[in-house]
Amino acid sequence: MKYFIILITVIFIFCGCAPKVVQLEQPGATGKEGPAFGKGEKEGGITEEELARSRQERERSMLEEMKKSLLKDIYFEFDSYVVKADELPRLKEIGSWLKNYKDIRITVEGHCDERGSAEYNLVLGQKRAETVKDHLVKLGVDEKRIKTISYGKELPLDPGHTEEAWAKNRRAHFKID
Amino acid sequence: MRKLKWIIILIFLTCITTNTEARIYLDIYGKTFKKITIGVPSFKSETIDRLRADMSELLNKDLDISGFFIVAPSSLLDRELSDEGIEKQEIKFGNWRSIGIELLCKGKLQQKDGEIILEAYLYDTIDGSLMLAKRYRAKSEEWRKIVHRLADDIVLTVTGEKGIMSSRIVFVAGGRSQKEIYTADLDGHNTKRLTNFRSITVLPSVSPNGKYLAYTSYKEGKPNLFIMDLEKNREIHVERGEGMKFGTTWIGKATLGFSHTSGRYSSIYTFDIEKSDKRLILSKEGIYTSPSFSPDGTKMVFVSDMYGTPQIFMQDLPSGNIKRLTYYGNYNTSPCFSPKGDLIAFVSSIEGSFEICVMNADGSNQRVLTNGSINDSPQFSPCGRYIIYSSKRGGRYNIYMMLYNGEGKRMLKFTEGDAEQPKFIP
Repeated sequence: MKYFIILITVIFIFCGCAPKVVQLEQPGATGKEGPAFGKGEKEGGITEEELARSRQERERSMLEEMKKSLLKDIYFEFDSYVVKADELPRLKEIGSWLKNYKDIRITVEGHCDERGSAEYNLVLGQKRAETVKDHLVKLGVDEKRIKTISYGKELPLDPGHTEEAWAKNRRAHFKID
Repeated sequence: MRKLKWIIILIFLTCITTNTEARIYLDIYGKTFKKITIGVPSFKSETIDRLRADMSELLNKDLDISGFFIVAPSSLLDRELSDEGIEKQEIKFGNWRSIGIELLCKGKLQQKDGEIILEAYLYDTIDGSLMLAKRYRAKSEEWRKIVHRLADDIVLTVTGEKGIMSSRIVFVAGGRSQKEIYTADLDGHNTKRLTNFRSITVLPSVSPNGKYLAYTSYKEGKPNLFIMDLEKNREIHVERGEGMKFGTTWIGKATLGFSHTSGRYSSIYTFDIEKSDKRLILSKEGIYTSPSFSPDGTKMVFVSDMYGTPQIFMQDLPSGNIKRLTYYGNYNTSPCFSPKGDLIAFVSSIEGSFEICVMNADGSNQRVLTNGSINDSPQFSPCGRYIIYSSKRGGRYNIYMMLYNGEGKRMLKFTEGDAEQPKFIP
């Protein structure tokens, strides 16, 4: 499904009808590559150069998709480092992205909510990061590409003191190295 | 003849020692104790008017924080009482007794060549006996030290053990994403920042010989465990392995106990700084962390999730046997041995809040000392009578101190921002 959307996007780009869409995806890139699309409108055979460019473009937008997907955190229950069943599809998705882009290395950050002891949360955060890494390794990602770090409860995303804030803070966060 | 002389001296000495033991007014290790009402009228001085009021005020505060006294408010002392002399024959003990004061501390202050001299006397108002007479001397700007020493001596006279108001502590202060290590006097003064890494630096503790500081800092990107020589003011050891490393417990004079969690495994090590000798105590799959050692070094308590939730366990080090100590609730962490080895303080989740608790060293007689919110990082004072800890009230972390039985809770204010993870500097 996703490939289909990307294909459509690429087609639109080729037609030169959707500079605004491109702008939304990656501002700055349009200025550089924009004029080149003009040539593509000429009738006749498609050159090797153009094919390569379209391939590049497709890869770039897929990379963007992956980065966007990595922006979303994996959430945990209180005092738990077990990945919840409803987070598994997201881990699978991230795993397959990582398998496609073998030169990308990531760091998994483990975070906790403010409840409980500072010491134990530092270890709990480490375990959350390690569990997420374990899942990705099981999905076939080379373990050397994934680093882990724990911030315990020291870097809350939401500084609030409600269950809602705590839920947001019990997370594994991804960073591309 | 000579022998006889010695025997007489010996008998005399025994009399003196038994006498001083009998003079302990408060047995704080009993189940409950009654606080003693103490009066501290302004010290006498011909020259330094401002300071004498400040000093008696600070002494009142110190005695209050100690938890053993009810301090008579100055409004209770009328002109006649305040103007009275400091010598025994000048004092009308009946007047003091009539307003309920049991102990009376009087002092005279002099200033000479940038130094202040305080002569302090402690009287029992029942029989007018002199319990303490001592002269203190310090530079004028260090007048707080004199007061703390006097307060500690009053506590010694009354309870048989020295007070702790002359102590310093180390703690963490700062906001989100930037935490540094500070030291301060227990009264909140003399605050000094030890680190300036502009990073997250946590879990400081100072070795029993006062020479080394251990802490975990993200200043190199990941959480590494550093040991700093406080005299030379430089780092002398770093644990840079992958994963989480921290240690806040010491054995002997300069051996740090720390835990390291990476991959599936957790390990607990001891590191003798002076011999540079690192030893593995325990390494297992899961969480094994927060070690604390008994004073004789034969037992180690730690936190593990081997049964699903964090609980406190004890390992007998010679035999290696492990025994579970906590069964109540699903969250028991941060154990800390008392200096006598008879008690363990810890954090327990009770009905949604995190409380400081103590139990006997065998896990029996668990009792809750705090009431609500998030309390963390309990540690006994070197004398064992107090527990220092951090507590969150109204969205802020502050450092508190209480007696080991939960009485006399006091907030200790050090900085404007949050302050947490306190430890006494031995």
